[in-house]
Amino acid sequence: MSQEIISQVSSYLTSNVPVIPISQGAEAVVFTTTIHPYAPSNNNTDESIKYILKYRPPKKYRHPSIDKALTKHRTLSESRILAKLSQISGLHVPKLIACDVYNGCIWIEFLGEELPNGSGFSSLKNYLWMCVLDPYSKMVEDTLVKVGYQIGLLHWNDYCHGDLTTSNVVLQNSGTHWEPYLIDFGLGSASTLVEDKGVDLYVLERAVNSTHSRYAEKYSQWLMQGYKEVYEKQSKKGQNKLRDVLKRFEEVRLRGRKRSMLG
Amino acid sequence: MLRHSIPQFDSFEIHASLFTDVQNTEDLRAQVATMPFAMIDASTICSLEQLFCAVYKALVECKYNRLRTKTLNSECILSLSPTSNIAEAFKRFGIKEDSKNIVCLAVTNKSESPFSETVFKEQVKGNEIELSDENLSTTLNRETIKKVRNINCKCIG
Amino acid sequence: MVNLNKVLPRNGRDYYLALGLEGSANKLGVGIIKHPLLPKHADSDLSHHCELEILANIRDTYVTPPGEGFLPRDTARHHRNWAVRLVRKALQEAGIDHPSELDTICFTKGPGMGAPLHSVVVMARTLSLLWDVPLVGVNHCVGHIEMGREITKAENPVVLYVSGGNTQVIAYSENRYRIFGETLDIAIGNCLDRFARTLKIPNEPSPGYNIEQLALKCTNKDYLVELPYTVKGMDLSMSGILGYVDSLSKDLFNHNTKNKLLFDPKTGEQLVTVSDLCYSLQENLFAMLVEITERAMAHVNSNQVLIVGGVGCNVRLQEMMASMCRDRSNGQVHATDERFCIDNGVMIAQAGLLQYRMGNAVQDLADTVVTQKFRTDEVYVAWRE
Repeated sequence: MSQEIISQVSSYLTSNVPVIPISQGAEAVVFTTTIHPYAPSNNNTDESIKYILKYRPPKKYRHPSIDKALTKHRTLSESRILAKLSQISGLHVPKLIACDVYNGCIWIEFLGEELPNGSGFSSLKNYLWMCVLDPYSKMVEDTLVKVGYQIGLLHWNDYCHGDLTTSNVVLQNSGTHWEPYLIDFGLGSASTLVEDKGVDLYVLERAVNSTHSRYAEKYSQWLMQGYKEVYEKQSKKGQNKLRDVLKRFEEVRLRGRKRSMLG
Repeated sequence: MLRHSIPQFDSFEIHASLFTDVQNTEDLRAQVATMPFAMIDASTICSLEQLFCAVYKALVECKYNRLRTKTLNSECILSLSPTSNIAEAFKRFGIKEDSKNIVCLAVTNKSESPFSETVFKEQVKGNEIELSDENLSTTLNRETIKKVRNINCKCIG
Repeated sequence: MVNLNKVLPRNGRDYYLALGLEGSANKLGVGIIKHPLLPKHADSDLSHHCELEILANIRDTYVTPPGEGFLPRDTARHHRNWAVRLVRKALQEAGIDHPSELDTICFTKGPGMGAPLHSVVVMARTLSLLWDVPLVGVNHCVGHIEMGREITKAENPVVLYVSGGNTQVIAYSENRYRIFGETLDIAIGNCLDRFARTLKIPNEPSPGYNIEQLALKCTNKDYLVELPYTVKGMDLSMSGILGYVDSLSKDLFNHNTKNKLLFDPKTGEQLVTVSDLCYSLQENLFAMLVEITERAMAHVNSNQVLIVGGVGCNVRLQEMMASMCRDRSNGQVHATDERFCIDNGVMIAQAGLLQYRMGNAVQDLADTVVTQKFRTDEVYVAWRE
């Protein structure tokens, strides 16, 4: 990770907000911090409470006016979508805390924890890798069905994630079971199109196939079981919508996401 | 009076108080534009988090963009609103004719003359109680909040 | 490990010779290359290190007057007229007196325009029968990639393939060049060419080059005419941008003072020049390309980029890509110059010869049918791990 980006963030946040970088994607850098951006009562004695700071650094390769407009637009749209999603009952997404669209910063709730036995952070990916000794256990099944349910709920409310992978699902231990949260809505959108939902499901299937190849078939089956549950709870309308989405999913899978192209 | 500073903008200081049973609502309303602080109808505030979130947003606008209203204090009222309509924000979150409970809020620059403890009390004839989430829950009106924030889901009750 | 020496050179020689014929668009290219037969290739993953020697690389471009594009029929006729002359010249340059010494003749199987592809494959079949040399059909995009890898020695780069007919971000995985992102409508080169046609600027040496030169003349580089920015995940779309910038340039030519973007509403003074439009268009389009490339790099954890295809010669695009890579740890950009970026016969020969050395020559003339649609990921890349 470039030192330059870290110093940009530090000078933006001032020395009152120390941050630790945790990951760098193509578009954003993610940090954790123990400082709440504005809440009082946070004189920070409790170091275990953390917040996520997602920062979109300026891209020097593009013209400053394009860069400014894009950073603002994308930060705003991600914040909006998170705010909307948190109003859907039953859907688990991290809470939006603050956003500064001019500097491309979003503060969100920190989710997840360290998995036991050094298995890493509790993303669905690490969790499934941790469970390889007993990949078909009831616990794994329950978790995956729940993940599928969350995705179903997202789609049922006409939102799409845009980048569903097993690293973009975080598990939160709630004592008896693992509660999945969908994260990173950087490519998310509100969409009523079956096409977008079909592509979402296809991207997820591909991600499961490539990161958990050996057990992918069963995993995908459980995910879809949870997904269908959401629609099947609804009346006739839900059944019809489900049929359309699954049909399109099948089509997307056959053409491999991309359309055939003229030279 | 509650004093607080936002870590990222520590050259500013926030002062806030909660008054109940305010008697001179009429007078206060008449002087809204000249008061050195913002007056917010307490029935629309459910937590300190909500209040300071608006302050944070106002400070971001102040520092990196531009204020859409005349002062930082009025910008805080606008920032409470889910829309960007200024008149509507003041109508919904600002002090109303029938407001009994009021949150007074002032954001000042630390480099300027210090903000006096008594400024709020000199103007507002009411009973000052501690500004806390607990007290706010007694002055809050859930129906108003649902209406002004356009929340229609059942999860907030 | 890959054995590139499965098929030995003809007549017990210690080198391979291949002739490549390219004609999928308005350029007819003939190239002749030589690969030495080296023991290290018998057991390696060195398909980007063939120690290629170029014996001939000649090209003739069908140039149309300003404001006109090339039509398939006329382009095919151009290729037919020039094919024999170019091949003869190439053989002469390469010093090959007996063409039957060639190990293989490679031709573009697709993708491209049907009629031009067809004229070239007829030539290839004829030569193959005449000289008794086996044929290899090559995917045009794979040709670009293999040429770029050999020239730049980039081992496993993310490839940005930008040309008149294609815009794709490609990365290698499990014996395929997989497409991570691509255009959803028209290609970048097509977009630039068509804008050049609207501006009625010359098609010589190439419309994209002339736009690049015009963009350099832009005087106020701080100001950018705002254009739609249409990246959709890893894909992008460009037809809307073209339509919009076309309408702007028409307003400019017709002196439509009602357009407030171009003319001062009070004085009627012109605010934007053709150069400014070219500059803004390039900045906008290239920012989109670099962005999807960066996404693909983050996705596959790579730090090398290889730019291939005609638009890849654009210096501004190369600059922007280099700037993006500087911000990624150890990022490197590889690009080639116009000899290899623009369609040529050598690249077809290079990819074809690799395929030939893996034992994949055409067995039956019926398998030499060319196709307009031929996706990059359909090719089984036997010569890589």
